[in-house]
Amino acid sequence: MSLTGAIQKYLIGTAGVDPQKFEQPDLKVSDLALDSLGLVEMLFEVEDQFGFQIPDPSRYQTMSFADMVADIERLVREQNDGKLPEIALTGTRAEAQ
Amino acid sequence: MSKVVVTGMGMLTPLGSDCASNFAAVLEPRSAVRKASDTLSVGLPNLLVAEAAVAPESLLDASYHGMDRATLFALVATQEAMGQARFAAHPDDAERVGVYVGIGFGGAHTLDGLYKRYFTALHSTTLPRKNPTVMHPLSVPRMMPNAAQAAVSMRYGLRGQSNTYTVACASSAIAVGEASRAIRHGSIDAAVVVGTEAMLTAGALVAWNALRVMAKPFEADVSASCRPFDRRRTGFVLGEGAAAMVLESATRAQQRAAPVLAEIAGYGCTSDAHHLTAPSPHGQAAAMRLALQEAGITPELIRYLNAHGTATDAGDVIECESVAAVFGSATSTLAMSSTKAVHGHLIGAGGLLELALAIMAMNSGSIPPTAHLDDPDPQCALDCVPLRARHGCDIPAVMSNSFAFGGSNASLIACRAAH
Repeated sequence: MSLTGAIQKYLIGTAGVDPQKFEQPDLKVSDLALDSLGLVEMLFEVEDQFGFQIPDPSRYQTMSFADMVADIERLVREQNDGKLPEIALTGTRAEAQ
Repeated sequence: MSKVVVTGMGMLTPLGSDCASNFAAVLEPRSAVRKASDTLSVGLPNLLVAEAAVAPESLLDASYHGMDRATLFALVATQEAMGQARFAAHPDDAERVGVYVGIGFGGAHTLDGLYKRYFTALHSTTLPRKNPTVMHPLSVPRMMPNAAQAAVSMRYGLRGQSNTYTVACASSAIAVGEASRAIRHGSIDAAVVVGTEAMLTAGALVAWNALRVMAKPFEADVSASCRPFDRRRTGFVLGEGAAAMVLESATRAQQRAAPVLAEIAGYGCTSDAHHLTAPSPHGQAAAMRLALQEAGITPELIRYLNAHGTATDAGDVIECESVAAVFGSATSTLAMSSTKAVHGHLIGAGGLLELALAIMAMNSGSIPPTAHLDDPDPQCALDCVPLRARHGCDIPAVMSNSFAFGGSNASLIACRAAH
């Protein structure tokens, strides 16, 4: 699964975001209507998968969705010798905890 | 000073997921005490627990499922109480409605999960991408003791003075007492009061086991292992769950034509300043006397007392002594039982649950027995209603006692709504 797909899966399946929103090419992170805790919960799905904490989460609130995913991918690659490891995000809070 | 009335009650306990099923079970009596599952009883083969009858998630929208188990219990019990009180969310007078919660050990499941996750990642050699320092960002707000109060306040839009009381086994009795005083004194007009507890986790259970207060399995019938006031009592069984009450000033209840189940007439609370865990007859009796004084009634009117009755060796004897000292000649008309024999010890949730059961006894005229009381201890020389419920009783008022580790004693009195 792609990083974009995995994050979308979490947002739709667990955070309750309308799937149609992801059809907008210029989708903003703010359009997802996540509050500050919702945003860090979403990032935790990535952090848990890759074993590091993403810094300064509030900066994503002003980015486009695509830019946020690109930034997260950059951070993941930095942690993994430039590679993007296989992703198996579950999208369920129970397993995340 | 306003009178304070109960307009709704709710329960999710080892005995059932509503008030009716709980009251039926305590009258039957039907015990929910069982041997603990293998995952909980590692190294403790005799461990007993009373687990909630229903998974709270099954009664709540998925958006709540990440919350701590104690919060989930609180939300379920509150649903029933609000429904019974016909009390809708976001009332017009939201600033005058508070949420009062009693809980003994907040966040036990979240904390246990956090440690498990941390040490698993720390010591794992097969999970290369697991980092022990990456933790769920809501761990703290899920495990804070006031998480249940916050969840109930937000769900129903209640904005008045709201507090959480962590006073071990007296937590929710004190929450009821303090909420009723806040209403009586006019700082709020209504409160949702909740007692909740969820600490049937491996970590919490080994700690309780070390204190040597937990019941040993009764060989003939494991479900009969908690035996208050019986010669063969060996201690209590930890339970889990929640109970909730809607309290309102009599005026507010009357204005909206709400059903009135009882009046919270008296509350007494004392501190022993004596011993970390041992009970004190003086402190217990003082709490009961304060409650009687606040209610302005004599002990003769109280015909049912839901005892703290934990089935510990010392606790039951001292409670009987305290009750006898306070009630004097009125002990001849007093029926007292401990329902912990069947629902277990719900710690922070126990006080509110047991008061609610006592109110149901008052309103129905049916007194729950002390289950498993085959061989009454002569040192507990009160009418402890052994084995069988009594029906058709005239009960103008009831008392519920909750005595906590740390030496806090709380006693509550409820009267019929129009006494």
